[in-house]
Amino acid sequence: MFVSEKNLFKRPGKKAGQRSVNKSLVLLFALLTSVFFVGGAHAEVPNATPPKGTHSGEDVPQPIDFPHDIHADINGINCMYCHTYARRSKVAGIPPTSKCMGCHSIIATDKPRIQKLTEYWENNEPPEWNKVHDVPDYVHFTHEKHLQRFVFNNEGMDVANVSEVCAFCHGEVKEMTVAEKVKPLNMGFCVRCHEQNGGPSDCWKCHK
Amino acid sequence: MSGNDINRRDFMKFMGLGGVGAATLSGCDMPTTITLEEGKEKVVAYLAPEEYAIPGIGVYFASTCQQCPSGCGVHGRIREGRLLKLEGNPKALNGRGLCQMGQASVQSHYNPDRIMQPMARKGGSLQPVSWEEAWQIMGEKVSGVDQGRSAWFTGTVSGHQSKLLDALNQAWGSKEHYVYEAVNNAVGEAVNEAVLGDAVPAYRLDKAKSILSFGADFLGTWMSPVHFSREYVKFRTGDRGVLVQVEPKMSLTGANADLWVAARPGTEGVVALGVANVLLTKHQVNGNSLTKAALDLIAEYNASKVTEISGVGGDSLVRIANYLKDNSPSLVLSGESANNHANGYQNAMAIMMLNVLLGNVGKTIEASNSMAFKDLKAKRGNSRALLDFAKAIDAGKYDVVFFMGANPVYTSPSHLGFADKLAKVPFKVALSMFLDETTLAADLVLPLSSPYEEWGTTVAPYQPKNAALSMSQPLMNPLSPETKSLGDILLSMLKHHGVAGYAGYDDYYSYLRAALAGMPASVKAGKSGDEFWSASVQRGLINAPSSPGSLKIKLGDIKQPGYQANSGFPMHLVPSTNQNMYDGRNANLSWLNEAPDQVSKVFWDSWAEVHPKTAAKLGVKEGDFVKIESDQGAIETQIYIHKGVHVDVIAVPIGRGHEEYGRYAKGVGVNPLKILSPAEDAESGELASYATRVKVTKTGHSADLSRLGGSERQVGRRLVSTVAASVFRRVEGA
Repeated sequence: MFVSEKNLFKRPGKKAGQRSVNKSLVLLFALLTSVFFVGGAHAEVPNATPPKGTHSGEDVPQPIDFPHDIHADINGINCMYCHTYARRSKVAGIPPTSKCMGCHSIIATDKPRIQKLTEYWENNEPPEWNKVHDVPDYVHFTHEKHLQRFVFNNEGMDVANVSEVCAFCHGEVKEMTVAEKVKPLNMGFCVRCHEQNGGPSDCWKCHK
Repeated sequence: MSGNDINRRDFMKFMGLGGVGAATLSGCDMPTTITLEEGKEKVVAYLAPEEYAIPGIGVYFASTCQQCPSGCGVHGRIREGRLLKLEGNPKALNGRGLCQMGQASVQSHYNPDRIMQPMARKGGSLQPVSWEEAWQIMGEKVSGVDQGRSAWFTGTVSGHQSKLLDALNQAWGSKEHYVYEAVNNAVGEAVNEAVLGDAVPAYRLDKAKSILSFGADFLGTWMSPVHFSREYVKFRTGDRGVLVQVEPKMSLTGANADLWVAARPGTEGVVALGVANVLLTKHQVNGNSLTKAALDLIAEYNASKVTEISGVGGDSLVRIANYLKDNSPSLVLSGESANNHANGYQNAMAIMMLNVLLGNVGKTIEASNSMAFKDLKAKRGNSRALLDFAKAIDAGKYDVVFFMGANPVYTSPSHLGFADKLAKVPFKVALSMFLDETTLAADLVLPLSSPYEEWGTTVAPYQPKNAALSMSQPLMNPLSPETKSLGDILLSMLKHHGVAGYAGYDDYYSYLRAALAGMPASVKAGKSGDEFWSASVQRGLINAPSSPGSLKIKLGDIKQPGYQANSGFPMHLVPSTNQNMYDGRNANLSWLNEAPDQVSKVFWDSWAEVHPKTAAKLGVKEGDFVKIESDQGAIETQIYIHKGVHVDVIAVPIGRGHEEYGRYAKGVGVNPLKILSPAEDAESGELASYATRVKVTKTGHSADLSRLGGSERQVGRRLVSTVAASVFRRVEGA
């Protein structure tokens, strides 16, 4: 079984050496499983039935046309590299501007989009993105628990393929430029997936 | 549901069984336009967050609550750079607890009526101005003022802000600093100072086995209610202590008492003498601690005389005396309803006499820990400041007056004519978060940041244990960059005035850092300046070295006046305080308006409490409007009937009836403080706010009283088990 990084961080009294042993174990295991389970262009998520349902989303304009495809598909960057909060918190979080600038103070600085980003950074103001995926305020959705179930506590799952889990609710974001809503994200969509994958069915789990 | 046999319970069962199929969920696939929107909300990322900042996960920082003068330590939960919730700081005097006023202080911080930029009077009304212009106006009006022609009028202040204020006043050659609190314990403090030599000794509720409280609502509003609530728990657990409350109108503490006794307002001292009489005669308590004169006086107050004056029956006196004698050590307290009379000092002295007689001084009343830093101690507020200030401005003593943390235009009785007198002051500056009545009367308004946006230190006025300095740190960025903290404004003024020693500080933060770094090694416990600063901010508290003081016993005259009836105005007005509106500062917080009063359960309005017998005599029922008329004016409000009021009393809570103070406060309820008669406690000069006589008449209007819960009875539901008083007395042997 995989150990969530959150737990690794939080466990008190854990020595640095121990953590690295665990991490290398995780990596080794990931490597092994990827050999057995990964095949073809679309990797599968073991022990999971993806939710069904589609939605035709509106075009949501963004201050910068962020190309998810260049980052996640062409360059193969793990979703959780930028959306680092997803595994620790209820919200996935938009990456802080400092994270963007970590690479883009060097990479692709001649591109107009990056120049616009740099302008934001130099003015000390983060871009105001428009929210694409949203659930009502009376719905308590947590990314952390979903990633635990489908990725970190999911035997045979390779963390490198996390985008397949993200795609359950967000669609194939790595084929998009700016994100677009392609799943309905309504209660029927949630509940059917919970039934098929053994998720909790108590009302108060989500409506608290 | 006509023609269908399914009732609610069956429906729930059916849903439970059928819940597995998608059929029952078909409704859940309906898109709703409001809730599943795209691109309507903004989501803004951090620019360069701290390591610990994770969106969706709260972090906690320590600070200090300023919603009342108690100075409780708090932990604020911050998420995505926003303050969401406050809890008590476990290391502070209040422990993990925080009262509802403290909880609601979040609403004060986010209040839509906050002043977000400086304002100056131009052509009769307040207009927004820049800080630059505000400072320029200050320079013109304040700089040329002669020595001693300026004054500060504030609420309770302490810590380094108080120190800066003193330095500023000194530079201006003016010692005039009026510290005013409408809700105070000043008469009690005066008696403590005279008898014990310690104005605010430590009341050890936890050590007492019986408490006799004359109107001290220590669970609600008295001194440090959250701390006392924790001590009260210790008092009640284990060998359960007995609480007796004597007051004209049942307070939150009174509602928790084992025995609640209604005495005629102003005769609490007589009741105390009556209890002492029983203790000396029936229980043969040693009277050596009292003088011959005092003993002779007590001997005069036999049961029949006490009953005649106070209306408290002889059997009640015996029961109170029995409780005190059988449950030793005891503690006797005097609070607002006993202190704030024309004979308040005498009341409090007679009540203190009981402590001396019962040997409580040194046992349940201990010396406070005096703070090593005298210049940081809290300046406690009283109401004499209001009377003195009114006289001074009437005589044209000041050219410039600064207001901060007090709203005297609202809380002053109309007989003072405060607003008219204030108009005589040529230039008035208000440092305020809200446009309350006093701020609106000012010529220049400087917007204060909220207590959760600023740096500061607070010393709680009540320091029973280790003296502590409580830290305030910004829990979030200011909502408006134009607001400034009191410390920053004072520092700017000191620098502007060229006072030596302040030029080196860029802001109040750097001043505080230097002040803490300069504290003696005994406080810093071997830490370097930076380490000490981090530790202080993290803990939220600095435990200052304190020396346990000592108490003397020098009882004053306990002579009591007789009771004066007043046929024109036969009833007593009790302007009661509750842990909700407090002195009116909380009227702009909708949570507290929505929270029902602890005793009457009324919300969003004022009401007048009367005894059922009085209601019958007046011919009124609940919800009827009555006119309450004193020699100074009249107010009209609705009647609430219950037995926790003396028959000669009509109790109207203070705090509502604002003419200004934002959208939630303005025009809601009535303000009983406006109709107070001019009366002062002769000894201490405090405003006798409980000494007003009124006549009550029916107006003929009636309306539903906005009140939580429709019934005073359990209607046979046995929600709370009860036992008849007669059975209880037989079993418990009281």
